[in-house]
Amino acid sequence: MDDGTFTDGVDRVAEELARRTAMFGRSLHIRTVDTGSCAVCESEIRLMAAPHYDLHRLGFFFTPAPRHADLLLVTGPAVRAADTLLLKAIDATPDPKVVIAVGACALGGIYQEDELIHGSVDRVVRVDVSVPGCPPSPLALLQGLLVAVGRLQERAQAITLDLDAETNR
Amino acid sequence: MAFWFYRGLRRGIVTTRYPRGRPDAWTADLPTPPAFHSSRLTDGLARGLAEACPAGALLVENDELVVDLGRCTGCGRCAELGGDAVERSGEFELATAERARLIKRVPIAGARR
Repeated sequence: MDDGTFTDGVDRVAEELARRTAMFGRSLHIRTVDTGSCAVCESEIRLMAAPHYDLHRLGFFFTPAPRHADLLLVTGPAVRAADTLLLKAIDATPDPKVVIAVGACALGGIYQEDELIHGSVDRVVRVDVSVPGCPPSPLALLQGLLVAVGRLQERAQAITLDLDAETNR
Repeated sequence: MAFWFYRGLRRGIVTTRYPRGRPDAWTADLPTPPAFHSSRLTDGLARGLAEACPAGALLVENDELVVDLGRCTGCGRCAELGGDAVERSGEFELATAERARLIKRVPIAGARR
């Protein structure tokens, strides 16, 4: 982006931004935890770092260790064999932490509870934010992250699936 | 290299927010949960939809179709089966701090047969 009309008012914006981010407020690090997902959720999570979505511009970063993480993205239907790793990851994450359940499996869809699978993540750990989708697109994940840190209003309440009710209003 | 470094120091970092205004046009192609025309939903149709849903996201309860958006995979089988009563909602920004907000109730208001 070269100098031109684009830079109009940039200094003002930059000043404001510097003030706002003085304490690096609401910028955080993410660790993903896979509890038996098919890896498509992971694929979409990885895509958030691609230039088109670029989650780093919003102050989010991936970290390889839960000890350095503020936020856990938990995918998969909570396979019982993954209990230990999930609970260890939760324990290792310092407080305050946010747990986001990602994808339909993690929210109770597709898989029923049986001797191998819990069926949804919230049966094992406390879930703070749910991000539906199979898989959730990177945009949906970004929205989930911003909702989790309180930078965006959630829309779920306002959505109605009754098209006739919408037209009547 | 040094140019961009000093430029960054001088101006600070300016980035865009989460999609400004409307999301991109291609988001219309995303697999999204269904939306229903309640006046065209009959009891039989609703039960058929609930049975066809592979994710267990649809449930008929009294005179209502209960849709769990959290479970929905957006596969579109209900939209295929439901004819003009079911469409794709186009909603993908569904993240919520309250799981119960993802459970939607649609009245089954179609003609009794």
